[in-house]
Amino acid sequence: MTDKADVWQGTLALMVLKTLETLGPLHGYGIARRIEQTSGKLLSVNYGTLYPALLKLEQEGYIASEWGVSDNNRKAKYYKLTRAGRRQLEKEAQDWQQTTAILARFLAPSEES
Amino acid sequence: MKSLRAFFLRLGGLFHKQRRDRELAEELESHLQMHVDDNLRSGMSPEDARRHAVIQLGGIESTKESYRDRRGLPFLETFFQDLRFGARMLRRNPGFTAVAVVTLALGIGANSAIFSVVNAVLLKPLPYENGERMVVVKQGAPRAGFPDVSFSVPEITDYRAQNRSFDALVEYHSMAFILLGRKEPERVLTGVVSWNFFDAFGVKPLLGRPFRADDEKPGAPAVLLLTYEYWIRSFGGDPTVVNKTFTMNDRLHTVIGVLPPLPQYPDQNDVYMPTTACPFRSDPEMVANRRDRMVSLFGLMKPGVSTRQATSDLTGIIQNAQHEYPDVYPPTFDVGAWALSLREQLTQNARATMLVLLAAAGFVLLIACANVTNLNLARMVKRERELAVRVALGAGRNRLLRQLLTESLLLALAGAALGLVFAQNGLGLLVSYVARFTPRAREIHLDGTVLLFTLAVAVVVSLVSGSFAALDSRDHNIGNLKEGSVQSTIGIGRRRLRSVLIVSQVAVSFLLLIGAGLMLRSFLNLQRVDPGFDPENVLTMRLNLNFTKYNTADKRLAFYEALLEKVQAQPGVLSVAGGMTFPLSGLNPWSNDFTIEGRESASLPIADFRVVTPGYFKTLHIPLLGGRDFTRQDRPNTPTVAIVNRTAAHRFWGTEDPVGKRISTDKGKTWIQIVGVVGDVKQDGLDRDTPDEIYIPLADSPVSGLSLVVKTSVEPLSIARRVIQQIYDIDPDQPAARVASLEQVRADSVAAPRLTANLLGLFALLALAIAAAGIGGVMALSVSQRTHEIGVRMAIGAWPREILRMVLGQGVALTVVGLALGLLGAIGLTRMLRGLLFEVTPTDPLTFVGVAAVLAIAALSACYVPARRAARVDPNVALRCE
Repeated sequence: MTDKADVWQGTLALMVLKTLETLGPLHGYGIARRIEQTSGKLLSVNYGTLYPALLKLEQEGYIASEWGVSDNNRKAKYYKLTRAGRRQLEKEAQDWQQTTAILARFLAPSEES
Repeated sequence: MKSLRAFFLRLGGLFHKQRRDRELAEELESHLQMHVDDNLRSGMSPEDARRHAVIQLGGIESTKESYRDRRGLPFLETFFQDLRFGARMLRRNPGFTAVAVVTLALGIGANSAIFSVVNAVLLKPLPYENGERMVVVKQGAPRAGFPDVSFSVPEITDYRAQNRSFDALVEYHSMAFILLGRKEPERVLTGVVSWNFFDAFGVKPLLGRPFRADDEKPGAPAVLLLTYEYWIRSFGGDPTVVNKTFTMNDRLHTVIGVLPPLPQYPDQNDVYMPTTACPFRSDPEMVANRRDRMVSLFGLMKPGVSTRQATSDLTGIIQNAQHEYPDVYPPTFDVGAWALSLREQLTQNARATMLVLLAAAGFVLLIACANVTNLNLARMVKRERELAVRVALGAGRNRLLRQLLTESLLLALAGAALGLVFAQNGLGLLVSYVARFTPRAREIHLDGTVLLFTLAVAVVVSLVSGSFAALDSRDHNIGNLKEGSVQSTIGIGRRRLRSVLIVSQVAVSFLLLIGAGLMLRSFLNLQRVDPGFDPENVLTMRLNLNFTKYNTADKRLAFYEALLEKVQAQPGVLSVAGGMTFPLSGLNPWSNDFTIEGRESASLPIADFRVVTPGYFKTLHIPLLGGRDFTRQDRPNTPTVAIVNRTAAHRFWGTEDPVGKRISTDKGKTWIQIVGVVGDVKQDGLDRDTPDEIYIPLADSPVSGLSLVVKTSVEPLSIARRVIQQIYDIDPDQPAARVASLEQVRADSVAAPRLTANLLGLFALLALAIAAAGIGGVMALSVSQRTHEIGVRMAIGAWPREILRMVLGQGVALTVVGLALGLLGAIGLTRMLRGLLFEVTPTDPLTFVGVAAVLAIAALSACYVPARRAARVDPNVALRCE
């Protein structure tokens, strides 16, 4: 577990938004598992850090929450994407792609030499 | 936008904490359960399944903690926590809290009060719309001895026609008239102004209409604007006064409006009228004659014009006039005209005094601040254990710092609140005091700016006094806890800090006491000045005759002589006389040039001419040094006579006896014979030199304004009513004004320096008390911390007397260093006071020695109590106490 990368603050929010877009309304545990799986077990999610992040997104109006019942009949708080959240996701994804593209170009020549 | 939304949600997060905590617990619990379920499914044992789930969650409590931080505003929450805790701590130490809050309240209150004055008088723009563009215009020929002469109507016409710098030039003068139509005839001080006078200032009436151009046309119906104060005082604020008519100067005047409450300059008038309604100003001779100068001039500068540009513009105009009328303006005169900022004219008398008071208040605050810091430091010693416990429980250094600063903020805010109460209570007195310097005193309020200033002061005070204590706490560590002793030793650093604070308190107190001492000496010197007359048991009052009724010299003289005779016959009256002025009355004499017989060719000397009745000198006990007093036989048909004062006799005739010499005020057409010499009198103020004065008898110049002076054998004001009745008996339409005893007038003339000395004295006493309490407190603390050491000393043979001397010596050393520093500071700073002092040098040795003695005695007495306690320490008890 120790050699897995920690999740950076900013990207966790983006991952949460993307997860909710892909899977629809989901509880905290589900989101955490999904992020871990998608990363191919490369990322270590300290599940605890997820909850303050969820609260922040909710305070900013990108996600909404309500209590529901899980598949195996447990009471759980479900989070879903709001319209503002969808817009934010689009914008942040774009920013992120741009950043990575720039960095990729930046790093490319040094790989060749 | 979104961060704002988040902020409010987080603010909301401060409430309903329990419900939210429960929800979070439930959410985390369901998270754990789901994780455990998954782990079980993957084949873990139940214990491992739960353990792994909790590990991956990262600890339930720490998750909750970080969640809570995000939910609310941890900064605010901590602040409220600290506030609550701080309030509890302060409540638990009522003695410390009370002393600190009162000390700060005195310091902050003094500053709020003085700042409210400085703000209203010196900082705020003038309360007229065009205040910053308004100037006072002056003209004169300073090098020829005429620094400031009034304007004549033709001169104003020139300035108006030729200037390029002004949007408006408006004239002003003030006269006392009699207003009839009320229960009793009233003497009203009347501002006589151009129709656009208030337009220029940008002042609109509160009620009714302003003056219009038509109101100033010759022959226009006479109209009046009432000032706010007069309206309230005389009419109780009755709005129906508009359109009422009153008789003044034998004409019907209609009230057209009421002015808003604004500072008036240069006179506090009761009513205003246009120039054409004033019988003097509208006199055709006055309008036409370039030499008849009686009015003042104000100007509204065009936007962007500086006073310097306006001045050179105006000077050019008067120099043109000099070329054109060499008979009016001698060609050798350096005539000029000046535009002076109205704001400076309004406040220049107040500036120096107010700044000195502000500095004094600032010093008081410094001392209060140092004292509270010392109290805080002392308290820190007692809280050592508490702080050590907190550090042991994981409180970071910054966290402790914040806690301590919050506590001192709480103290400072409480002090500020109480200080504002003090300031509010003292404000009435302060306003009447400042009114002696500037008409802007009426604008003094504890307004928003002052509240903001007070808040800022409180915050700075809390930062200063709190951070010393807080910085001091940085070396608290768990070690302190282990020692387990309540009294740990004090570090060298802290003791030095405390000594520095004591030294600076003594030094600053010294400064303040010196300032107060100098002002007091200066005031005592003023009191001791021989005024040249005896103010005891003298009643004074002012008469302004209705000159349309008393339009000839004979009628006026007849009235005065009849009145003097009637008053003289009253019981309790020793003697009575009249004068166009009386000493310290603030009334102006005529200033005339005259010719001395036999020296006609020389350039003409100038002197003050004052009109008096026979008996004036006797009534005021002004000594007759030679020749004779005026008598009833000095009539208009006998040779004109005059009496000169000693200064004039000396200046114009040297060692010769002036009695029998002759002078002329009309270049030798008629001659006036000098018949007597009288002593010098302080006419304009006890701190002013006596001018050259020539007295002439009323019979030769029956002026329309006369002051009665009545020497009584009883309390002077007790017969005032009877004297006024004598006036009504002769003419029921003739009011008397400014009824006062000459003692009052004299006391009033030195009231401003007296009050300044009082205020500075109050500040200095405050400082002394605070500093003495501070020294005593610190010495007491030091003694209580050294009980053990003192016990040891006594056990090995020290006498109580030696212990006493040791402790006192410590106090003396601090005091002496403080005095030395204060002395240096005082020598540097008291120069600021020079302009306010009268016959005292800013480094007056007597004051310095006296103040040093007072301060040293106060400091020593403050040290004596703890020193005596130290000397009484029982070595057995002291050694056993640890």
